Amino acid sequence: MEYSEESKDRRITQLRKGILELAVMGALYDQRHYGYSLIRALSENGSISLKEGTVYPILARLDRDGVVRSAWVESDQGPPRKYYTLTSSGRQLFDELSHEFDLLVSLVQHKWKAGEQPNEGGKKLLVRKA
Amino acid sequence: MNNYPEVVAKLVDDYLRRVRLQLGQLPALEQDEFVREIQSHLYDAYQQMPGEDEITRILAVLRNFGEPGEVVQDRLPAAMVRSGTNRNLPLYVLGGILIALFGIPLGFGGVAVLVGILITLAAMVAVFYAIGGVVFLTGALLMLMGFARTAAPEFWDRMVALGFIRLDGPAGDFLDQLPASEQGLLMIVLAALVVAGGLGMLWVGRYLIRGLRFLFSLALDRLREFAERIRRRAHPDEVRPPVAAMPAMARK
Repeated sequence: MEYSEESKDRRITQLRKGILELAVMGALYDQRHYGYSLIRALSENGSISLKEGTVYPILARLDRDGVVRSAWVESDQGPPRKYYTLTSSGRQLFDELSHEFDLLVSLVQHKWKAGEQPNEGGKKLLVRKA
Repeated sequence: MNNYPEVVAKLVDDYLRRVRLQLGQLPALEQDEFVREIQSHLYDAYQQMPGEDEITRILAVLRNFGEPGEVVQDRLPAAMVRSGTNRNLPLYVLGGILIALFGIPLGFGGVAVLVGILITLAAMVAVFYAIGGVVFLTGALLMLMGFARTAAPEFWDRMVALGFIRLDGPAGDFLDQLPASEQGLLMIVLAALVVAGGLGMLWVGRYLIRGLRFLFSLALDRLREFAERIRRRAHPDEVRPPVAAMPAMARK
């Protein structure tokens, strides 16, 4: 069966969106950012190939869930900027999620042999059969 | 403040207006916050965007930012759940069917029919509220009468003698068999039921209002798009708004 480019692009976009939330939390781990500076920070480590505007719903969601806290700060270069910082519970969540992410990366890359755990001491990754 | 050249300010305003349209289901405060943040981003991005031509710069900024629908698509579902509009799923379906049946194939005629249906629905909701209000007031009045009958029977008798209160027919006959205090008590109990019914109608009415508001915003969006299409056909040489221009540029 032929696999369409459109379908492939849609899946790539979905994959990136899922990981983007984690990347946003990672960028806010040690430094506070406003939206534009956050996108620049994410782009420094390689193009995220996502529309910049898609970061804002993620930030709003994280803010609503208490993962980040936000505050408007006046800017002498233009309109006020909304700065975001990761909360302590956000840091804890990021640590746990990034650990899960490492497990998933190991699973995808097949770096572990059958019967061997991908990360000793870590949690087992359960893959449910459909 | 924003120091955009006039033409850039117009494009940015138009873009933000489209974002706000897409955010119709969010509470106004959240809409303001979201749009304000985007405004701040667009300003920073425009300042950093290299190039001489102002229009090319702002169009590039808007293209990088994404189309309004794309930007807000992750923002809406949660808002819909929070505002309880998921309970109005049948109304969403109804709205979709109305537009599919009338708005698109029939053009102006369909739009007129759609507007007529919306006005009728609005009138029905208004009538529903009016009936709810009347039921509530009737119950409150009956309760007042019940208290008067219990606490001041001589006042009640005087009102009956003067003709201000008349209870004829089987209800009157039935009440005449009871002592004054029991008459009052019965009236209070009945009044409490009527008041509860009235309040229930007013409470249910807010769901009707929500559904109606959604249908109105949906129809207005479609009407705006319809008007925009006609305007573009009438003035093809006019500078096209950024959102319409973006897909063409993205293909380059």
